[in-house]
Amino acid sequence: MRGQDPVIRVEELSKRFGDKVAVDRVAFDIDRSEVFGFLGPNGAGKTTTIKMLTTLLQPTSGRATILGHDLRTEGRKIRERIGVVQQQDSFDQGLNVETSLDIYGLIWDIPRPERKRRIGELIERLGMEEFRRKPTIDLSSGQRRRLQVAREFIHDMDLLFLDEPTVGLDPIVRRTLLDFFKERVRDGLTIFFTTHILEEAEYLCDRIAVINEGRIIDIDTPENLKRRFGSAKAVEFKLLQGSSAELAALLSSSESVTRLVQEPGTGTYRVTTARPESVIPEIYRHAERLGVTVSSIYISETTLEDAFINLVTENHGAGVVSGGRAA
Amino acid sequence: MNIYLRLVYRNLRANLDRASLFFELIFPLFFIFVQGFGLNGIVPPFDIGNGKFVSYSLFLAAGAVTLTVINGGTNAGTQLWFDRKNGMFEQILMGPFTRAQYILSIIFATLIIGVAGSLLVFVFAFPVVGASFAFSLEGVLLIAAALFFGTVFFGAFAITLSVALKSSETFQVVSTFAFFIFLFTSSVFFPASSAPSAIQAASLANPLTYTTDIFRAGLFSAATPTTSLELGVLAVEAAAMFVIAVLAFRRIRV
Repeated sequence: MRGQDPVIRVEELSKRFGDKVAVDRVAFDIDRSEVFGFLGPNGAGKTTTIKMLTTLLQPTSGRATILGHDLRTEGRKIRERIGVVQQQDSFDQGLNVETSLDIYGLIWDIPRPERKRRIGELIERLGMEEFRRKPTIDLSSGQRRRLQVAREFIHDMDLLFLDEPTVGLDPIVRRTLLDFFKERVRDGLTIFFTTHILEEAEYLCDRIAVINEGRIIDIDTPENLKRRFGSAKAVEFKLLQGSSAELAALLSSSESVTRLVQEPGTGTYRVTTARPESVIPEIYRHAERLGVTVSSIYISETTLEDAFINLVTENHGAGVVSGGRAA
Repeated sequence: MNIYLRLVYRNLRANLDRASLFFELIFPLFFIFVQGFGLNGIVPPFDIGNGKFVSYSLFLAAGAVTLTVINGGTNAGTQLWFDRKNGMFEQILMGPFTRAQYILSIIFATLIIGVAGSLLVFVFAFPVVGASFAFSLEGVLLIAAALFFGTVFFGAFAITLSVALKSSETFQVVSTFAFFIFLFTSSVFFPASSAPSAIQAASLANPLTYTTDIFRAGLFSAATPTTSLELGVLAVEAAAMFVIAVLAFRRIRV
């Protein structure tokens, strides 16, 4: 049973665009200081859900309360207490970074001394010192993304919506941002977080809702999702020769192999299988026949990505909705 | 600070294209100093109403001041375009503001640009043209009303265009063409009564005609009984255009 006074309570919320159902009767609760992940393939309904919860779009049916306020009738009160980092870029093109932060604080009616203090703190914390006076129009996508995040922390809020906030960021900046979010969650902030990067969801989220074709197909902790849907193991191996298309083709056609991918960059092959004990000899057998050498091989733990793919694949087109408020 | 002041300040700081503004001011001055002086020698002074005779250069200077009203209006559309293109439109609407506050803040920013631009052109141009004025309260009120309603009309018109058109390039082309039509079917360059009948008919629907006529009436103390009627028509046109802009604005898909 979740808390009695959730930050977000969504009941049977739907959104239609003409004949297309973008979001179909989704339901969930989110508690204070919780990071709630919203995962799904492209076009699953993640951004539409965020747009409804941030009052930008009117739901077609269903109801929701955000911070105790009704989504349909108290939009202004909701918007006073939330922050949103959009998936798309957003910036004031005529300003530099520091002025942009200052004017954003101004429109939120933050007093000038407080704005100055917060801007200094955010610029230092998010590593924006070197481009603080750069015009926003000249920023790289990663710098612009950091500006978008910093901007939302200029004003006070209880709930932050993050719509794929780390797209285009290098791993160091990405980790800086995620750690920053974690700090703020410890201070009481609640986060609604969509991402395609499943390691991020695993790192940050307390619970994850998986959405597909507009419907929530499961809600659980990352650990439980992995346990429940990640029964398959992953066998990872490398070839001395780098890659072999013939070997990949042979393994892909094997009955024991659920999925085979080669990671770009490292050249590591990752085989998802329920029977690693039969796949490993098969890899060696094919390799010997093709004259390629396996330089390393090991069985790895199930990742959230494995669980996510299994879950979405299992429920593709089935419209299965499991317990919307599963803990 | 008041919510409108905050948003207007933000619009002026974030979305003003200084290069465009410069040319928007140069454009009317060019008409005043080149066309005005050029034609002054061959066009005799004429009656603009209430028995007031003015030279062509003065007539045109007053018209060119109201030209900045159109330029200010274009700026309203540009502000909205910048915000939509740069993702700030949605970002602001997800903040503690309403759509009405946002659109009004654009109109207010446009008013500031339009009125400030008109004053600047006035200050630069009229001493050179050689005019001297004794302003009456009625004259000042007419000038203020002309600039206010004119800017609201053209600001709302530009907002409607920027909502209706799919790209900023199309907006630029269509707005330039539309404003060209407004300009040459108005009384900015010549009295509407001296134009061919088709242009005269078009000028009767053209808010720039009324903006310019009312401005001149206030400036040269040349108000006639028809000036009140013109003011009424301009106010109705501005209000109607504003309502159309609000309706169009509400239809923007996010």
